[in-house]
Amino acid sequence: MSTVQPSTREVQVLGIDAGGTMTDTFFVDSLGEFVVGKAQSTPDDESVGLLSSSEDALALWDMPLEEALPQLQTGVYAGTALLNRVVQRKGLRCGLIVNQGMEDFHRMGRAIQAYLGFAYEDRIHLNTHYYDEPLVPRKRTRGVVERVDMFGNVVIPLREESARKAAREVIASGVDSIVISLLHSYKNPAHESRVRDIVRDEVAKAGKEISVFASVDYYPLRKESHRTNTTILEAYAAEPSRETLQKISNSFKEKGTHFDFRVMATHGGTISWKAKELARTIVSGPIGGVIGAKYLGETLGYKNIACSDIGGTSFDVAMITQNELTIRTDPDMARLVLSLPLVAMDSVGAGAGSFVRLDPYTRAIKLGPDSAGYRVGVCWADSGIDTVSVTDCHMVLGYLNPDNFLGGAIKLDPQRAHDAIKEQIADPLGLSVEEAAAGVIELLDSELHDYIRAMISAKGYDPSSFVCFSYGGAGPVHTYGYTRGLGFEDVIVPAWAAGFSAFGCAAADFEYRYDKSLDINLDQHASTEEREAAARVLQEAWLELTDNVLEEFRVNGYEAHQVQLQPAYRMQYRGQLNDLEIDSPLAAVASEEEWGQLEEAFNRTYGRVYAESARSPELGYSVTGAIMRGSVPIPKPRIPSEPLAGKTPPSEAKLGSRRFYQDHHWVEAQLYHMEALLPGNEIEGPAIIESDATTFVVPAGFRTWLDKHRLFHLQEL
Amino acid sequence: MSYERTKIADLIDGTIDHDTLHKMLSTPKDEERFETYLEILQERVPWEDRIILPLGPKLYIVQEQGTHRWVIKSQAGHVFCDYRENWKLHAVIYVRESQEQLNEIYPELMAPSSGWQTIREYYCPLSGDLLDVEAPTAWYPVIHDFEPDIETFYRDWLGLEVPDRAAG
Repeated sequence: MSTVQPSTREVQVLGIDAGGTMTDTFFVDSLGEFVVGKAQSTPDDESVGLLSSSEDALALWDMPLEEALPQLQTGVYAGTALLNRVVQRKGLRCGLIVNQGMEDFHRMGRAIQAYLGFAYEDRIHLNTHYYDEPLVPRKRTRGVVERVDMFGNVVIPLREESARKAAREVIASGVDSIVISLLHSYKNPAHESRVRDIVRDEVAKAGKEISVFASVDYYPLRKESHRTNTTILEAYAAEPSRETLQKISNSFKEKGTHFDFRVMATHGGTISWKAKELARTIVSGPIGGVIGAKYLGETLGYKNIACSDIGGTSFDVAMITQNELTIRTDPDMARLVLSLPLVAMDSVGAGAGSFVRLDPYTRAIKLGPDSAGYRVGVCWADSGIDTVSVTDCHMVLGYLNPDNFLGGAIKLDPQRAHDAIKEQIADPLGLSVEEAAAGVIELLDSELHDYIRAMISAKGYDPSSFVCFSYGGAGPVHTYGYTRGLGFEDVIVPAWAAGFSAFGCAAADFEYRYDKSLDINLDQHASTEEREAAARVLQEAWLELTDNVLEEFRVNGYEAHQVQLQPAYRMQYRGQLNDLEIDSPLAAVASEEEWGQLEEAFNRTYGRVYAESARSPELGYSVTGAIMRGSVPIPKPRIPSEPLAGKTPPSEAKLGSRRFYQDHHWVEAQLYHMEALLPGNEIEGPAIIESDATTFVVPAGFRTWLDKHRLFHLQEL
Repeated sequence: MSYERTKIADLIDGTIDHDTLHKMLSTPKDEERFETYLEILQERVPWEDRIILPLGPKLYIVQEQGTHRWVIKSQAGHVFCDYRENWKLHAVIYVRESQEQLNEIYPELMAPSSGWQTIREYYCPLSGDLLDVEAPTAWYPVIHDFEPDIETFYRDWLGLEVPDRAAG
């Protein structure tokens, strides 16, 4: 990013975000300088897109791959390897052992799986509902006789012979792995553990190589559909994905790297591809940006951040309050309910590639829900697409440079976009092409604007106490549109917006996290003994989870003393519905006084998240879960810091001008080269700041200035 | 918007993929769907009469060749009656009234109680194809399911020319 070329550059960190549309790479050198590479994704063999994206990035430093890769100290991958395998049902052949009489719950998917991921209008449109093929078919599912109730009491003892019979039948059906998940086993694991041992014994007797996954060993969490699905994912998809990740790691090693890639996980940390729990790598890309925003915020002092990411297919919003992420514990992905800790994020299916159609009856413009994805739109002749996309509208309005899309990697044809909009949108509405395209952009901007406002105010906050970060390849094109009039404290567009998710991946901790469900209930006036007993239960859970965390690090060659442990708990006022995740102020709890500190920490957080006056200690406290996180230090990208230059951009940053359509007429927008702008420069709209991978639009009525960290601040005049 | 002809054929056969089906269900209907649909059905019937409206998987309202009468006709070629009449009254009918008859087609203990419900099966006299089933209370008359206003449908809904119909 600097105009000065150091004689010996040392490349240190690589972040990768392999999305559905684009594969971004983010290289950081020892001075904290970075380059962003982009290439179209290659789902068939991801390493192809990864390597060409890397070449694209390193070309900016005039470095060949072979020179840069051996210098790298670490690399983080975020991508869709595991997700694709699940969606395409290309996993291993699994068997499932559950309670007798409960053999159908997996395929019933809590009924909700029939419409997960649907747009609202389809959710209420029953005809669209359908069930995916279950990960394990009914015919390879068997029941055992036993029952543990929700308090952990044994109601029916385990009939071991039924477990042996189930095991033998499942083994005989020719499976690669067997999953065991019994009701309420998180509360009392005895039966499930015993069934696991019996199944292993039967596998040995049969002389077969079949791996056995008991839910208690992985996800001792309440909600059996979630727990079972997640454990099945480990058996079904984790091993093959491990191979994919290993393949990517190896293809980079062939080019000279000498480390194992880490993978972005749902909880916001990165884990090794050797990790025991790999299912949590199922979604990772969008999280990277949130982690990046958190890292920037911590370093630069932004405590409350609204993160907004526009890619080709969706608009993702996440909130960071007081430097803390929100973690959701039972998310859904790939139309499955899961027990994974996931960085909370809300998505709406509208992005830069969304298709634009007219409703033939009402003549209303409709965006999405499907999108052109990596095929951009009609303006790309080779795309094979004939429906107008949002990008086509940007193209005819002069927002985008047809010759510099992805740094000129693909040539776009504005005339094709113009003709398609005319035929499909403008003529039927009796509008000019410009008016029609501007209407589409206005519609998208107002959808996003309403969405982000609703997100923030629904949680009881005011935008004026938040800084909005806008990133993603298409983010900066829309920033002005969806932040206008919301009154954010500041609106920030990082100069590396396009690679921001990859940056975030590179900035993520090497962190493992294990969760366990608990049911601790204490009255406000609970006795000393009761509080000590509660402390014992929590402490035991932490110790159990610590073993799991340390074991993960041991596999990666870290000793226990190198691992920094952070226990946490989920607490709520008794009888309330929502719990909060609190980092424990203490490394361990035993006494009543120490327990009191946990309650106090919860009260403080509750007051901050909701309101002081809403705190209700008189209800007593429930602890719903124990969490243990462990991390080891790793090199992270340094945030650039450059000396400030004057307000006037250098003349070499100016690239001429382009016709730009705003407020019903054409204006001449000054064009700038993003990388040539210097910190301190101020630009007033109408202006378009171009870089290879993103375009930052500053319309009339807006001003932006670049700070010393290469962050653009956007202000309404 | 329109779909490939083969997709419409998949829709008729029930072999269409989920993604396309979902799109069809949640977006406005493609304009030429009805005509394409009829064309595919027309290719699949063994007779030459023009299909005007499908009534079921193997039952159609057709314009009889030559006479231009609109009649209800089965896949196998049996002509039931004028399109405004209840074709079921001209079909071969099997009524399940006794408990034994009902039990035959249900899992154990799952059959309805005879006397409360009866099941009437309507068959094509030529081929024996099961064309429709109704399950009313025992005393209920034969149901006339559908009395379509074909002229309005063609002219006002689809914007198509109404096929010729012999008076009568």
